[in-house]
Amino acid sequence: MTCRERVLTALAHREPDRIPMDFGSTAVTGMHVTCVAALREHFGLERRPVKVHEPYQMLGLVEPDLQDAMGLDVEGVFPRKTMFGFPNEGWKEWRFHGVDVLVPRDFNTTVDEKGDLLIYPEGDLTAPPSGRMPAGGFFFDTIIRQRPIDEARLDPADNLEEFQPVSAADLAHFREAAAAARATGRAVMANFGGTAFGDIALVPAPFLKDPKGIRDVAEWYMATHTRRDYIHRIFDRQSEIALQNLEAIYGAVGDQVDAVFLCGTDFGTQTSSFCSTATFRELYFPYYRRLNDWIHQHTPWKTFKHSCGAVERFIESFIECGFDILNPVQCSAAGMEPAHLKSAYGDRLVFWGGGVDTQKTLPFGTPADVREEVLGRCEVFSRGGGFVFDSIHNVQAGTPVVNLVAMIDAVREFNGNK
Amino acid sequence: MADLQKLYEAVLNGDNKTAVAVTKEALAENADPIELIQKYMIPAMAEVGKRFECEEYFVPELLLSARAMKGALELLRPLLAEKGAEPTGRVVIGTVKGDLHDIGKNLVASLLEGGGFEVTDLGADVPPEKFVEAVQLRNANVVCLSALLTVTMPAMRTTIEALKNAGLRDRVKVLVGGAPVTPQFAKEIGADGYGENASVAVNLARDMVKASSHAC
Repeated sequence: MTCRERVLTALAHREPDRIPMDFGSTAVTGMHVTCVAALREHFGLERRPVKVHEPYQMLGLVEPDLQDAMGLDVEGVFPRKTMFGFPNEGWKEWRFHGVDVLVPRDFNTTVDEKGDLLIYPEGDLTAPPSGRMPAGGFFFDTIIRQRPIDEARLDPADNLEEFQPVSAADLAHFREAAAAARATGRAVMANFGGTAFGDIALVPAPFLKDPKGIRDVAEWYMATHTRRDYIHRIFDRQSEIALQNLEAIYGAVGDQVDAVFLCGTDFGTQTSSFCSTATFRELYFPYYRRLNDWIHQHTPWKTFKHSCGAVERFIESFIECGFDILNPVQCSAAGMEPAHLKSAYGDRLVFWGGGVDTQKTLPFGTPADVREEVLGRCEVFSRGGGFVFDSIHNVQAGTPVVNLVAMIDAVREFNGNK
Repeated sequence: MADLQKLYEAVLNGDNKTAVAVTKEALAENADPIELIQKYMIPAMAEVGKRFECEEYFVPELLLSARAMKGALELLRPLLAEKGAEPTGRVVIGTVKGDLHDIGKNLVASLLEGGGFEVTDLGADVPPEKFVEAVQLRNANVVCLSALLTVTMPAMRTTIEALKNAGLRDRVKVLVGGAPVTPQFAKEIGADGYGENASVAVNLARDMVKASSHAC
C-alpha cells in the first residue's frame, strides 16, 4: 500500500497493511522544534536548521527526509499565515534553547524586563504584543488584550473580524500547497482555518493588532452562559462565511485533499468537561452539523475534530453532527479508556491519536514504559482499522529522543517490522 | 431591609450585580459582614463547589459565581480587617515559574476565598523565591501550586525545595494541582496533597488546616 492508500483504508474502517502514522500534519499532531531537531540528529539526516512553521507552539516542520525515516503517512497543508498573523515565509536564522532554527521573516520579538519574550501581531513592533514566552520557556501564550466591555454596545461583528471571505492569494496558496502535498504520495490533511467555533486559543486573536469584542478567555467562557444569543450570532455568521469559503477552497483544491481539520475547540478538562451535553447540543452542534453536512455532500473529505480532555460524553454527538475523526483521544482523562472508546465508537469514528501519553509516559517514562504503552494502544485501537497512530497532542519540548525512538520502534514492532 | 437570601442566590447563580447591590444595601443597614460571609456567601460557594463536582456546574458557571462572590467580598474585606476576623486559614497560591496559565488557579483561589480563607494570589509564572517570601510575609499555613504544562511541572518540585531550604516546609501544607499533575507526582515531589479540581482543593485545604490546628 502507498501511504495514502494506507490512511484512506484506515479512515474507511478497514485494516490497512500496517498502522498509518502522523506527526506534523496539523498544529495538534506535531512536535516541538527541539524534538524535531533531536530526531533529525538521531536519524543522521542532513544537518540544517529546522523551520518553526507554527510559532505559537514552536512546532518544527517535519520535512520529507524525516517523514521517511519515521515512516509517516500524512502530509499537511497549512494556511499562508501563522497564529500571529504574519506569513509563513522569508525564513531567517534564530537560536532557541541551544538549537539553530529558522523562523519566518516577520517573527519579530523583544525581551521585557523579566526576560520574557514578546511577539507581535503581523510582526508589527509598533503594535502591542500579542504573545509571551516566559524566560526559559518553550512556547508562547497569548496576551489578553480585552477592551472594557460596554454591554449595550457589544456587537457580534467585533468577534467576526478574523472571519473574512478567503482571498485570491489564500486560494492560490491552498491550490499550490494541496497539489504539492498530493504529489508526495502521502494522505493530505488540510488546515484551512475559519471553521473553529469558539476555540479558546483563537478567541484572544493573537493575529489581530487591535481585537475587539470579547477576547478575554474567562469572559468568553462566562459569555457562553450569560450571552448565549451573542455567541449564537457569531457562530451563525461565522458558519455562513465558512461555507462560502469551503466552496471556494474546494473549487481550488478539489479531491487533492483527503481530510480537513475543522475545529480545535476543547470541550474536555482532565477530569470533566467545559460544558454539559445539553449546552454542546444547543450551542455548538448546529454549526458543526452545517459544515460537516456541506463537506460530506460536496466533497470526499473526511472531517477531523480535535478536543482535549474527557470528552466521552460528547462522542455520540460528535458522530451525529458528522465528524469522522477524533483527536487527540486523551486516554488519561476521565472516561477515556481505550478499550471502551474502541468498542463503543470504533466502528463509526476514527481515532487519530491516543498512541502514547504526552503528559507522563513519553516525556517522563522509560523507553520500556513507552514501548509497553504504544503496543497496548496499537492492539486496542487498530482492530478493524479506524486508527491513525499519533501521540496524544504535540510532542512536548524536553521529551527524550530515546523515548521518541522507542515509540517509533514499537509501532514498527506492532506492524511486524514492516 | 436587605433580603440576604438574595445574596446567597446571587452568588449561587453567578449574578454579580445583585450580589454587589444586596451587599451594599445590607452594609448601609449596618449588617455584620462576618454574618454575610458565614451565613450566606460561604454556604453559596459550598453549594457551587458541590454542583461542580456533580457536573451540574461547569467552568463558566464557576467563573460567574466566583466573580459574584468577589464583587461582594471586595466591599466586605476592609470591614473584616477592622473587626479582626480570623480566616479559616492563610493560603498563598500561584501558577509555578514558566507557566502563564491561570484560569484553574483563579478558580481555586476564588473557591478558597469563598471558603473563608485569606488568599494571597501571586499570579502566574511565579518563581520559587516569591512563594517563600509570601509565606513569610503572610504567615501562611497552606501553599497551593498550579501548573497546566508538562514542561512546568518540575517547577513544583523546585518550589517545594525552596520552601525546605528556607526552613518553612514544616510550617505549611503544600497542595498541587493542574491538568498534567497526578496524585503520584504529588507524592514524588513531597507535596502534602493533590486537588483534582477546585472543589476538592478547597476541601483538602480545610481538612489540612483543621488537622494541623488539632495537632497543635
